[in-house]
Amino acid sequence: MNIVVLAKQVPDPEAIVGIRGDGTGLEIEPKFATNLFDEFALEEALRLREKHGGKVKVITLGGGKATEVLRTGIAMGADEALLLDDPAFFDGDGYATALALSRAIQREPFDLVLCGKQATDDDRSEVGPMVAQLLNLPHVGGITKLDIADGKATAESPVEGGKAVVEVPLPAVFTAQKGLNEARVPLITGVMKAMKAQIPKVTPNELGLSTEEIGKAGSKVRIEQYLPPKKRAGVHFIPGDAGEAAAEAVRILVDEVRVI
Amino acid sequence: MERLLIFVETKGERPRKVSMELLSEGQKLRAQGYAVEAVVMGKASAALKEEVLPCVDRLVNLTDAVLQNYTAEGFALALANHARSVDPKLILAGATQVGRDFLPRVAVLLGAGIASDVTGIRWKEEPIKVIRPVHGGRALSEVSFANYPAIVTTRPNSFPMEPSGGAPGEFVEKELGISSEVRTKVVRVEEVTKGKVDVTEADVIVTGGRGLKGPENFALLEELATLLGGVVGATRSVVDAKWRDQGDQVGKSGKTVSPKLYIAVGLSGAIHHIMGMDTSKMIVAINKDSNANIFNYADYGIVGDLFEVLPAMTEDIKKRLGK
Ligand SMILES: Cc1cc2nc3c(=O)[nH]c(=O)nc-3n(C[C@H](O)[C@H](O)[C@H](O)COP(=O)(O)OP(=O)(O)OC[C@H]3O[C@@H](n4cnc5c(N)ncnc54)[C@H](O)[C@@H]3O)c2cc1C
Ligand SMILES: Nc1ncnc2c1ncn2[C@@H]1O[C@H](COP(=O)(O)O)[C@@H](O)[C@H]1O
Repeated sequence: MNIVVLAKQVPDPEAIVGIRGDGTGLEIEPKFATNLFDEFALEEALRLREKHGGKVKVITLGGGKATEVLRTGIAMGADEALLLDDPAFFDGDGYATALALSRAIQREPFDLVLCGKQATDDDRSEVGPMVAQLLNLPHVGGITKLDIADGKATAESPVEGGKAVVEVPLPAVFTAQKGLNEARVPLITGVMKAMKAQIPKVTPNELGLSTEEIGKAGSKVRIEQYLPPKKRAGVHFIPGDAGEAAAEAVRILVDEVRVI
Repeated sequence: MERLLIFVETKGERPRKVSMELLSEGQKLRAQGYAVEAVVMGKASAALKEEVLPCVDRLVNLTDAVLQNYTAEGFALALANHARSVDPKLILAGATQVGRDFLPRVAVLLGAGIASDVTGIRWKEEPIKVIRPVHGGRALSEVSFANYPAIVTTRPNSFPMEPSGGAPGEFVEKELGISSEVRTKVVRVEEVTKGKVDVTEADVIVTGGRGLKGPENFALLEELATLLGGVVGATRSVVDAKWRDQGDQVGKSGKTVSPKLYIAVGLSGAIHHIMGMDTSKMIVAINKDSNANIFNYADYGIVGDLFEVLPAMTEDIKKRLGK
């Protein structure tokens, strides 16, 4: 079984995020991590390969340190990696990003695409379903369980107040969320292997894409500016012992917030 | 005339709250010259029609055997097919689990731009600008679209819900024939807690953290939440310890919520948690540690033992309600 995993590097959740003075961009402390949900996708791919055989390929679109995601993938056990790091690919909206990734996926036959539910930098949660539609495949979003048998996949995802179990023929796309598995920690031998691995790259041209179709140029959504989130006035501590504080809190809720 | 197309998501027989928020927004825009259409999948109930029709010029009910259960493929095909005949400027839907799952597919089918999980729309500007939080709410991004139609999904509780009575719009049923194109098969849907309000749509959330010490103590939160007409949320530590369901988890790896009132009890306010709740309108925190990070995000804080403060609050509210 050929499994493709889409994984993205994102700023570490603890990284300080600031807005450039003129609002045209963000200034983010250079600390990075693999997108949390993509680790679940990777782990699931490795478990499926261990069970059914085949290979796991990790693909990422990104420049600079983004390769680290691929090395983490290899260290965890992925067989192959592919990097899209031409600047023409960068700063795309969900659509432009999904277009490039879907072409990269299509370069070789595959049975399964696993990606994360959401990248925690842009918080879009679009690429997985878009890749599926671009490849004209079914997808199941936010899965917490996946079983493969007889060319079919059975996936579980939480729905409000319960869960849904759906069946799709392969190939298909799945987006992973918390609850699917616990991602493994790479072994030192894996890390050594990853350090030495040659990472192949593809250009837009090799994917049959013009630079106008992808990245910022190909985006249908334009970022006009960044704004700071609303600031709160600062906490007002309610004084007194537990009983007094509770009474005052209730007064605020009733008379000021009017929740009751 | 410019048209808006609103996807109405249902919960049981009724429209979801976030759909009513959008319809309420649509009603305001009708007064400004937009034609507003709504679309609902599967058989529309009388109750739904009654709620939706006064807000719109037309409600279209798309039916097909395959639309009885949600599948991303089926809903996307149905909405995209219908949208082509309406030619709206914007397609609007709630940024719910369902909305966020299938509208990206609609965007591809229509070649439209999409902005997901939007918390504000500047209707008066041309091009229209929409605001969406990024990086877990640590910045807001203001975006516009290169073309129309464009798609916007909105975060629940971001738009005021004040639908006022209006002359009922037209109701149309449209039978599609898309079943053969849908490959996804719903095997079963298991409902564990039917009818419960989801944390993403609740007006009041009382969230407990590890400070609760054990699952049994969440009864304290349940009691307070019920009195306030709200629901109980949980931190990841509490979910990982199996004290509460995953569906109640608020934060980066859980849900993003925006209630009117968020009461944070015995939780430290780790950045991963803050990312899921800091657009709440009012935050009240109860923690015994005055240095807890949650106080940096709260409007009101009580430094004290939750096992003393919570029961006192509950008693006080009961007295006020005459219970
Ligand atoms: C990648 C990643 C994703 C994550 N995603 C999420 C997420 O989605 N949601 C989430 O919540 N967390 C998430 N976390 C975990 C997060 O970092 C914290 O570990 C977690 O939120 C802490 O939970 P807590 O506040 O319940 O526990 P603690 O941090 O242990 O806080 C307990 C608090 O209770 C207080 N307390 C104790 N006893 C009492 C008492 N009697 N009265 C009053 N106060 C008391 C203490 O002072 C303390 O502040 C994530 C972490 C990572 C690494
Ligand atoms: N630049 C990228 N490179 C590789 N995978 C990506 C990239 N962007 C998004 N993805 C995948 O798509 C998922 C959803 O991303 P998003 O739609 O940006 O929230 C992520 O969890 C990744 O699996």
